[in-house]
Amino acid sequence: MQQKSKTPSLVWRLNKLLQINAMNLVILIVGVYFIWSITSSLIANPARYLPSPIAVALSSVDMLYKGLLPSYFSDTLVRLVVGSSIGLAAGIPFGLLLGINRTVADTFQPMMNFFQSVSGIAIFPIVVIWWGNSDTTVLVVILYTSFFPIAYTVLSGVREVPIRYIHAAKTLGASRYQIMKDVLLPGSMPHIATGSRLSIGFAWRAVIAGEMLAGREGLGWMIFTGQDADKTTEVILGMILIGVTWIVLDHFLLRPLEADTIERWGLVQR
Amino acid sequence: MSVLAIASIAVQRRFGRQRIRKLLLGSIPFVVLISLWHANTVFEWLEPVFIPPIGDVWDAIFLLQEDCPGVGAAIALDNNCLMSTHVLSSLGRVILAAVIGLPLGIAFGILAGMNRIASKFLEPVGIFANSISGIAWIPLAIVWFGVGWVTTLFIMLNTIFWLMFFNSMMGVRGVARVYEQSVLTMGGSRWDVIWHVYLPGAMPSIISGMRMSMGFGWRALIAAEMIGGDSGLGFMIFTSAQEFKIEEVFLGVIIISLIFMSTDKYFLVPLEKWTIQRWGLVWKPN
Repeated sequence: MQQKSKTPSLVWRLNKLLQINAMNLVILIVGVYFIWSITSSLIANPARYLPSPIAVALSSVDMLYKGLLPSYFSDTLVRLVVGSSIGLAAGIPFGLLLGINRTVADTFQPMMNFFQSVSGIAIFPIVVIWWGNSDTTVLVVILYTSFFPIAYTVLSGVREVPIRYIHAAKTLGASRYQIMKDVLLPGSMPHIATGSRLSIGFAWRAVIAGEMLAGREGLGWMIFTGQDADKTTEVILGMILIGVTWIVLDHFLLRPLEADTIERWGLVQR
Repeated sequence: MSVLAIASIAVQRRFGRQRIRKLLLGSIPFVVLISLWHANTVFEWLEPVFIPPIGDVWDAIFLLQEDCPGVGAAIALDNNCLMSTHVLSSLGRVILAAVIGLPLGIAFGILAGMNRIASKFLEPVGIFANSISGIAWIPLAIVWFGVGWVTTLFIMLNTIFWLMFFNSMMGVRGVARVYEQSVLTMGGSRWDVIWHVYLPGAMPSIISGMRMSMGFGWRALIAAEMIGGDSGLGFMIFTSAQEFKIEEVFLGVIIISLIFMSTDKYFLVPLEKWTIQRWGLVWKPN
């Protein structure tokens, strides 16, 4: 036994190596790079179907040089931020309002159910007829997609605040406004955080789809026109950017925010 | 007591007071919306190009189905039976994608949940694939497969597969090791462990993943049909919008949401509840 632990076997060393996460990621990226370049060198028309990674990287340099990439990128991000912040600003109070009164909630819940299942992308043709191919169209679609998930989550969050807390506040002479500010809002904070992440996720998809369909400049537009103009390098570059942006946004901003909120405001109750 | 009061009490006893209250209250916004919609046609606040009369939306069903030779042609997706062709081809894609994508996703998810090395390589790929939402794949799919069936199916499969993969993986990871070890102690094979421990243990997570992936998949499918399809409900509303036939667009949107709502409410939600009741693990050993 002791002999074995002194001279670790090759398999053990390999396993140890694989346990390091960063190492893993590097191996993965290198592996994907090789598979990708080998496939692209083997197929018939790589420029059209699967350009090599180097070609994609070069196209990014080209687009950076022309200044297109930063402008597309910022356009998309601005749309996301503006759209989802208006959506959240409208959705959170709406959800809270619905949550306070049972009658109001029962009245509006079926309608919200209906509109939530009409996805933002499906109403897109209607919005295009109403506002044409403009920035308003994209914004309306983002608003629509981000409003309903957050309102719904906040509503269920308010519902889950234990009635005892509300009673306790009432007994101590709190007004309706105070109950809302001091009991319901903090009590539903974790749900607000979760719902915001969900909403922003939906909004992100809506931004990409909206730019594609309404033809407004941005990352979605870039991959859409790239396909039209037979520039597959740009399509793949755009896809990678979309993926990486969302990962960065989700893992380094939204998830920590959500975790912190739950840690700070989460109710541990029996 | 008047007759009305007696009848009302009888109805309340029969169907339940709360349920009736919810139904009545819940129908108020719909009634208001529909009457506003109708008032718009009567008083012409907004032009019919922007909001069609309700009657036109209803008539659009029959207008689209007008040239249909018969039921046989409707099932064969004849191009003259537009309405049924679009609905059936969308549904067909959903079913096909579910039949292929769900088992594949579950299989890979269980594999990744069981094997740490596999999961280390598959998980980052999954995170990346999930964050490139289904929609962003559409242009590349059009380049690869052209406009049509394959593209739309690919987009939906892609969306379903990764969500399913993630949920099954998380489900398998959540299963307590004690169960696995006890099966192994009693002489079970690896296959036994998969079949009797991982699959049932991960079932609640798998089923909620199924519900989620069908929701996302349906949205992605509509988008894919709009951009890269040649039939289906998404295609129908997109082309109708380009021809400014807004009544067809409204009809399509209503059908899309009704299909989704009814599948979710009458099939997926009950299935989820039943699974959690049947397979959900309440007891967790330390």
